[in-house]
Amino acid sequence: MKKKIVAILLAVLMLTMLMSGCQKPAADDADTARTFTVGFDAEFPPYGYIDDNGDYDGFDLALAAEVCDRLGWELKLQAIVWDSKDAELESGNIDCIWNGFTKSEERADQYTWTVPYVDNSQVIVVRNDSGIASLADLAGKTVMVQAGSSALSALESEDCADLTATFGDLLEVADYNAGFMELENGTVDAIAMDIGVANYQIATRGGGYTILDEAIATEVYAVGFLLGNTDLMYTVQGVLMEMAYDGTMLEIAEKYVDKGLVIDSLCLLD
Amino acid sequence: MTFATMVSQLAQGLLVSIEIFLLTLVGSLPLGLLVAFGRMSKFRPLRLVVQVYISIMRGTPLVLQLMVVYFGPAMLFGWSIPRFSAVILGMILNYAAYFAEIYRGGIESMPVGQYEAAEVLGYTKSQTFLKIILPQVFKRILPSVTNEVITLVKDTSLAYVVSVMEMFTLAKKIASSQTTLMPFVIAGVFYYIFNLVVAVIMERMERRLSYYR
Amino acid sequence: MNILEMNQIKKAFGDNQVLKGISLSVEKGEVVAIIGPSGSGKSTLLRCATFLETIDSGEIAYMGQKAAVTGQNGHAEYVSSAEMRKIRGYFGLVFQNFNLFPHYSVLKNVIDAPVSVQKRSRQESVEEARALLAKMGLSDKEESYPYQLSGGQQQRVSIVRALAMHPEILFFDEPTSALDPELTGEVLKVIRSLAEEHMTMVIVTHEMSFARAVADRVIFMDGGVIVEEGRPDDVMLNPQNERTASFLSRFTE
Repeated sequence: MKKKIVAILLAVLMLTMLMSGCQKPAADDADTARTFTVGFDAEFPPYGYIDDNGDYDGFDLALAAEVCDRLGWELKLQAIVWDSKDAELESGNIDCIWNGFTKSEERADQYTWTVPYVDNSQVIVVRNDSGIASLADLAGKTVMVQAGSSALSALESEDCADLTATFGDLLEVADYNAGFMELENGTVDAIAMDIGVANYQIATRGGGYTILDEAIATEVYAVGFLLGNTDLMYTVQGVLMEMAYDGTMLEIAEKYVDKGLVIDSLCLLD
Repeated sequence: MTFATMVSQLAQGLLVSIEIFLLTLVGSLPLGLLVAFGRMSKFRPLRLVVQVYISIMRGTPLVLQLMVVYFGPAMLFGWSIPRFSAVILGMILNYAAYFAEIYRGGIESMPVGQYEAAEVLGYTKSQTFLKIILPQVFKRILPSVTNEVITLVKDTSLAYVVSVMEMFTLAKKIASSQTTLMPFVIAGVFYYIFNLVVAVIMERMERRLSYYR
Repeated sequence: MNILEMNQIKKAFGDNQVLKGISLSVEKGEVVAIIGPSGSGKSTLLRCATFLETIDSGEIAYMGQKAAVTGQNGHAEYVSSAEMRKIRGYFGLVFQNFNLFPHYSVLKNVIDAPVSVQKRSRQESVEEARALLAKMGLSDKEESYPYQLSGGQQQRVSIVRALAMHPEILFFDEPTSALDPELTGEVLKVIRSLAEEHMTMVIVTHEMSFARAVADRVIFMDGGVIVEEGRPDDVMLNPQNERTASFLSRFTE
């Protein structure tokens, strides 16, 4: 029976450890060695993903690293579940969402945003041999889109209502990976997604897919902070602008071109 | 990413999954016994509180409970619990409720004659429970416990909801970043081996307790 | 001094008055058999005597030490749990269903209480247990587990378990009722041999011929009262009460 007692003691000890693990959130101590925690979902190349060595990489993460370098902050990359991004932000577990984060109309008032640094478009990807060449050809076809994505909200917006009405079916998928499997298998005819993502997916899959020339919507990416956290936003935005002017942003961006980043989409560079 | 890198990445995720699994068991098995006592207590308010606790733990998704444990304190009081601790705490609280009901079923299924024989022989209440009742309860409930333990192996993947990088979360991110389904295949194999080991251990325990009926 | 003294015991389950003021005293070395139809209260009497049930009113004393007394308010009160623990050591009980501990070997079943309750030395307990098991013809069974034994063997082990506690008095609650008919003989033989050694015993039984052969005194209970008691031959061959006679007649055909 001694074993049982030991087990109970262990449990109590563990609970104590769990409790003592409680600490003030990182966001509260704006002192000397500030930690800047960036939230991203690591599933959104080329902005934030896991590279061939299993490390986090991405254009947005590289920008964040440069910002922290210049400010003397310590960067902490926190992979999050996209669905929990608001809870993570509100609980102070992350300082910002920086992950190809679309500043849509509905989100505009929900976060404190930097100015947009990427102007992205929502496009349609089809198989080369699909015979689909324009948005009009999508009539009666099955179109797939990632659940909760900007492409979905674009398709569901009033601007696209006429187009969407012509689709045979609009299906939602959990991730693009599965979406491409379906496209490959012919169970869907087209996928709607961000142009950057589309370029990356097509490049890594070795071609075979085409992006329609007509975009279904254009959108912008910015860094989102907790609503009202303007001081932090301005600090980061200032450095971001600086990086755009002195050419650093372009330098960083060029490293991600082969991952599908479209230099033309960087709207701070002009 | 090479296949070897993928396997080694996922193996690291597997270690996290195993850690979650073991800590949850070490915490919830004894806690479940305490909860079972509360559930069977003669003191009505305690019994009610425990009943409500069990019904919430069994009546709501574990995913939701993990979110509440992790995000709740931060949003309400500004306390940030480390992610991993939140997962362990949430899993222990959930599994303790299930184990408590299993213990209770086992304890209540014990024939009253065992208590009476012990009482007449002069055993104290705690001696009766620890020497006579609990060992037999343990044998009776082992098959149900095995079921829960195997479910727990698979439930470790729910840690994704608070972004703890256990194997499945990692597999999902690698799959998205590398545009391949291979990580899921590898993860599936790992889960299967993990469960196989667990099943073998539980079977051994059952065999060790089969010396009596 | 009587080993057991029960006075005016009353016990009800809800509205059902099971014991209606029963008095029973047992002398050292006496063997008492309690007979009666089912529902007569004989098992309840035994359970009250062994504290498995609490009495509503009356008095219970072992070896002159009071375990339960009834004061002015008419409700029985038991002595402190420390005293109760001491008094429990005076008696042993053999159950109808044996109630051996299934997870303990035969030997462990016998020695565990002497060692962990009475704090006797393990070696001495083992030696004594082996002697008792040998006497009961169970020498080769000490490593067995209860499920491996026949009902008769299990009941003999449970008698050994009770004896190992050195009780002043041993109660038997229908010790052969759960056994196949061909196995009752071996258990009755053991009880008879204990009677020959003048072990003080109270036996609730349906085995009439056994009761007559082994008991010094037979008590016939019905409806929660003692209807008749006396020497076995007097009660069983020449019952004075009509209820006794009609009960016994069922066994003579």
